[in-house]
Amino acid sequence: MSRKTERLVNLTIALLATKRYITKSEIFRTVDGYEGTAESKERMFERDKDDLRNLGIEIEVGSFDPLFEDEAGYRIKPDSYQFQLGEVSSQEISLLSLAAEAWRGAALDGSALTALRKLHAIGIESDIESIPDLAPHANVRDKNLQVAISAITSRQKISFKYLSEELTEQDRKIAPYAVTSRYGHWYLYGLDLEKLGIRSFRLDRISGDIAPEGKPGSFEVDEEFDLSSLSKSGDEVRTAVIYLRVGRAIALRSRSKTSSTQSAIAGWDLVELNYRDQERFIEEVLWYGDDAIVLEPKSVREEIVKRLELGVKRYG
Amino acid sequence: MVKQATSPITKTARLLDLVPFITTHQGISIKDLAKEFAISSEELLDDLNTLWMCGLPGYTPLELIDLSFESGYVSIRNAEILQKVRLLTKEELVVIAIGLDFLKESLSKDREDLVLAITSLQTKIKSLIGDIAQVTPTVDSAHRAVILRALKERKNLEIEYHSLIRDQISTRVITPLELGEDKGIEVLLAYCGTASGFRTFRLDNVKQAKLLDASDFVAEAQNSSEEIFRAKCRVHSRLRTTFERFRLETDIATSPGSSPGKGITVEVTSFSQDWLVRNFMSTLANTEITNPAALAKSVGAKARTTLELYKSGHFSS
Repeated sequence: MSRKTERLVNLTIALLATKRYITKSEIFRTVDGYEGTAESKERMFERDKDDLRNLGIEIEVGSFDPLFEDEAGYRIKPDSYQFQLGEVSSQEISLLSLAAEAWRGAALDGSALTALRKLHAIGIESDIESIPDLAPHANVRDKNLQVAISAITSRQKISFKYLSEELTEQDRKIAPYAVTSRYGHWYLYGLDLEKLGIRSFRLDRISGDIAPEGKPGSFEVDEEFDLSSLSKSGDEVRTAVIYLRVGRAIALRSRSKTSSTQSAIAGWDLVELNYRDQERFIEEVLWYGDDAIVLEPKSVREEIVKRLELGVKRYG
Repeated sequence: MVKQATSPITKTARLLDLVPFITTHQGISIKDLAKEFAISSEELLDDLNTLWMCGLPGYTPLELIDLSFESGYVSIRNAEILQKVRLLTKEELVVIAIGLDFLKESLSKDREDLVLAITSLQTKIKSLIGDIAQVTPTVDSAHRAVILRALKERKNLEIEYHSLIRDQISTRVITPLELGEDKGIEVLLAYCGTASGFRTFRLDNVKQAKLLDASDFVAEAQNSSEEIFRAKCRVHSRLRTTFERFRLETDIATSPGSSPGKGITVEVTSFSQDWLVRNFMSTLANTEITNPAALAKSVGAKARTTLELYKSGHFSS
């Protein structure tokens, strides 16, 4: 199969070296490896163009003479072929390399490895001593993450089965926009093509494989889309007032913006806490049992009391 | 490792990356070069032999890439056209952008210079691919680095650890044994001198980590004797959330034969009885313990003492 590799490399060299557009017939005549009937050469060339595009190499199509459109020419602009981050310092090389190292053994280690090679090929010694000892690690092996990112960068729609709260599988089809990771979970954002709104999906709730749909470049990201504001939104923020036993409910306490104030009750602090999802907040407070007592809002307090009564009745 | 046939596309990518790499590393040994590209020496030789046949149209010795590697050391000439490092693909840029997020979060306040350098790289990358990835790491890369060093140099660690189950932050001296993973969470298996036993620590709950002197503790035994607590319960609402909370595989529920409408009976397990009690407290509205009775009683008692506080009159406005 190295004939094909050879041809692709030769085509790249020829298209990079030329200052003007060269025509298909010139390519077939001069570039090594194009053989067979006119038709099979044609097919070969089309496939080669796609293959190079998949490697991130863009072949530009142009024409010498606007009157003869069929005489299209091809070339690769050196600017679109070369490393695009410009001049980088040895410290920047170290940071970029260390960032790529985070993916060793993780979901995108293939891309990380090729990125590292390119960074090393720049030939600037990395200046690792100038950076504190850090060992970043992307703790994710889900193959769907790679499929999702590849679909995001190539603007390709995707479909998958998603587990609902009732643990049933729902078919979803989206135009994928972005990924985030918070609290150890990965989320995929995109335009839900049936619900026609931006939705987020937790990656580990996707059942089976994500399937690409249609061709790359088949959508544009909505200009209104703003990842920074999205990942923080959701339900509206509400505030609870809660008694916490001194020295207890550490994780809950650390979320509070107000410094814990002493309450009128000895051994207890009175703390203000923000939450969005009431159900999740109730479950969180109940985890701490008799170390966390909600004062307000009343609805939350009543719901907790109701559940405790149920617990006493059922298990007591 | 299973040997995979390299696709012509992958091989092409590698050849295009080999040229600039060799150009900046003239005279590199076959062995080092193969290692850099994560391939065998045989594969590398095959690559070099292919590359040798490539060049500008005409393909006379004047146009072909000139490689020499017979001596075991590789050098390259006449490859100016390909000697520029290739551009990073969008996927590679995403990988780097996310990695930079990991680093940024772990830098201490006195390294403002590095934070600035990372921010400027991220801005550059965003201008090329847009704002398509944002990551907040759960584990501090600096803590992980200290742990890795302790493992490598066989040293003890002093850690400040937040136990969610005990709802307590404590300082412990531990001998790290092995990094691992438990249901997607990074954990450190260690001998804990403070508790005189083997313990598993979640990396995201390590608040501080400090390297101590070399350890004299040689660990061989494992914590195989650790007791496992089991409970049977019915989950009748908020199935997905509850399954995730108890770290149950969701395919138990989606497999044919189960009828989610009426709730599902499952077995949950943990090394900690406290963990079970707390989780059953959290899910009072969604779960019902069927077995063992002792666990149900513990949850009942906890519910009662909590309810008493609510009813006591002190804790009301």
